[in-house]
Amino acid sequence: MATYSIPVGPLHVALEEPMYFRVDIEGETVKGLEISAGHVHRGMESLALQRNYFQNITLTERLCSLCSNSHPCTYCMAVENVAGIDIPERARYLRVMADEIKRLASNLFNVGIMAHTIGFNSLFMHVMEIREQAQDIKEGVYGNRMDLAANCIGGVKYDLDDGIESFLRTQLEEMKRPLDEIYQIYAKDPLITARTKGIGILPKKDAVRLGVVGPVARGSGIAYDVRDKAPYSAYDQLSFTVQTEEAADVRSRALVRLREAMDAISLMEQCLERMPKGPTVPDCLPEIPPGQSVARSEAPRGELIYYLKSDGTDRPQRLKWRVPTYMNWEALHAMMHNCKISDIPLIINSIDPCISCTER
Amino acid sequence: MLPFLKILVRNIIKGPATEAFPFGDTFTPKRLRGRAELNPERCLACGICSHVCAGGAIAMTESADGRGMEFRLWHNTCTFCGLCEHYCPANAITMTNDWHLSHEQSEKYTCCEVQFVEYPVCKRCGKRMLPHLHQRLAKGLVGAVNTAEIMQICPDCRRLTSAMQQIKSKTCFSTDRSNS
Ligand code: SF4
Ligand code: SF4
Repeated sequence: MATYSIPVGPLHVALEEPMYFRVDIEGETVKGLEISAGHVHRGMESLALQRNYFQNITLTERLCSLCSNSHPCTYCMAVENVAGIDIPERARYLRVMADEIKRLASNLFNVGIMAHTIGFNSLFMHVMEIREQAQDIKEGVYGNRMDLAANCIGGVKYDLDDGIESFLRTQLEEMKRPLDEIYQIYAKDPLITARTKGIGILPKKDAVRLGVVGPVARGSGIAYDVRDKAPYSAYDQLSFTVQTEEAADVRSRALVRLREAMDAISLMEQCLERMPKGPTVPDCLPEIPPGQSVARSEAPRGELIYYLKSDGTDRPQRLKWRVPTYMNWEALHAMMHNCKISDIPLIINSIDPCISCTER
Repeated sequence: MLPFLKILVRNIIKGPATEAFPFGDTFTPKRLRGRAELNPERCLACGICSHVCAGGAIAMTESADGRGMEFRLWHNTCTFCGLCEHYCPANAITMTNDWHLSHEQSEKYTCCEVQFVEYPVCKRCGKRMLPHLHQRLAKGLVGAVNTAEIMQICPDCRRLTSAMQQIKSKTCFSTDRSNS
């Protein structure tokens, strides 16, 4: 059979962001893959060194739109670690809330796009409509549909009042039933299962070898979640299960994401129940001494690590981040081995790639 | 397809979920971070807002005659992060929920929030001074001398007052703690 290479990307109908794949094909089957990145490099690590600690809160929030809360949150944690700042109790819960609403919307977006890639557009629209309620929460509570601007060094910038709290409770309650409903569809619908079951398999052994993180790891049966392994904010006070699936295919990753979206609602409700009253920020400006620190968190796409080196000035000497997608890229080689051409977009989407934060 | 059919029918009966905007009204939440606004009466010209602004959207220029400071916030450079509002010690900046910022290309250099923050005048020598003392006084940070008096005089005259007071009194203390 003839072997030839086809390009997928950097601009492609099924890819939401630019990435170039050179795929070697034998008939309809993928035999080799080469990934090249760098189309949206913006030099943000360098930009961060030219901005002071406050400005970097905003800059890191612009790294990626879907994990936009995880970045400033982890950045602030890194700064707090180096400065020895303990954030107020109430701020811990408020940080969890901001993290979880983003996880909810991000995971729904990914499974929605999956339906779109399959060609099931009515389901895609339906999922996006459910996600719209999460967007309403973000806009109503935080003031923006994507960038929550919830974090600041030493705490959070926002607070809840009675009106906002009851708005939150109603919105969350309203999302529960539709979420259960679409979970059943993703799990059982013959059209969805036909396209996703047994596709893009990443065996547990390979997942461990490649060090994948987030729903990609959990979809391959690895129960690794930073919220559970090294709790930050108020996660040690809240109860949730680390969601895993054993089939290691596109479908398992989608189911993990959907169950995490449901957990996000429960986590936010727990926060509303347990959140103590009190301040949300310290009342003085922080002083950042020289030193180094690391902070990590569970972004919607997996473990996110921030490294900070300070030299006592008002700008970081070095700020570096290891984003979840960076770890998951390599797994595409394993997932796409011997797959069909038509499954390429589905498999790429199943790692929920975020190119803007990988290339920053 | 079958499990979805029920939802599909329900959605069709429910009708469109999108809003009628721009032909009809749309909902704007109270907390939406939109166009930033400055209240020049409250501003202390301290500059913390432009210090924290990642976009570099805030420019503060002292007027040539020293009468005050021009505060200019470029809406087109603003990222609507709200850090300026959060860190402003005097609550002078507010993110309003007005998001109607579209404008003609010809207005791109004027689409700004421009305010003039007038410096208070020293009651004694007539010199202009930074307005930060009001704030300090409000917080009770300067309390050693007659506050009503010191609020209306500039740092030079304050130093003089302080020196005169120290000549009168036996104990030495500094009245000007504006740098502390
Ligand atoms: S008082 Fe507020 S608005 Fe005025 S310069 Fe300071 S931070 Fe900016
Ligand atoms: S909202 Fe953010 S970007 Fe806009 S002026 Fe304030 S600090 Fe600057």
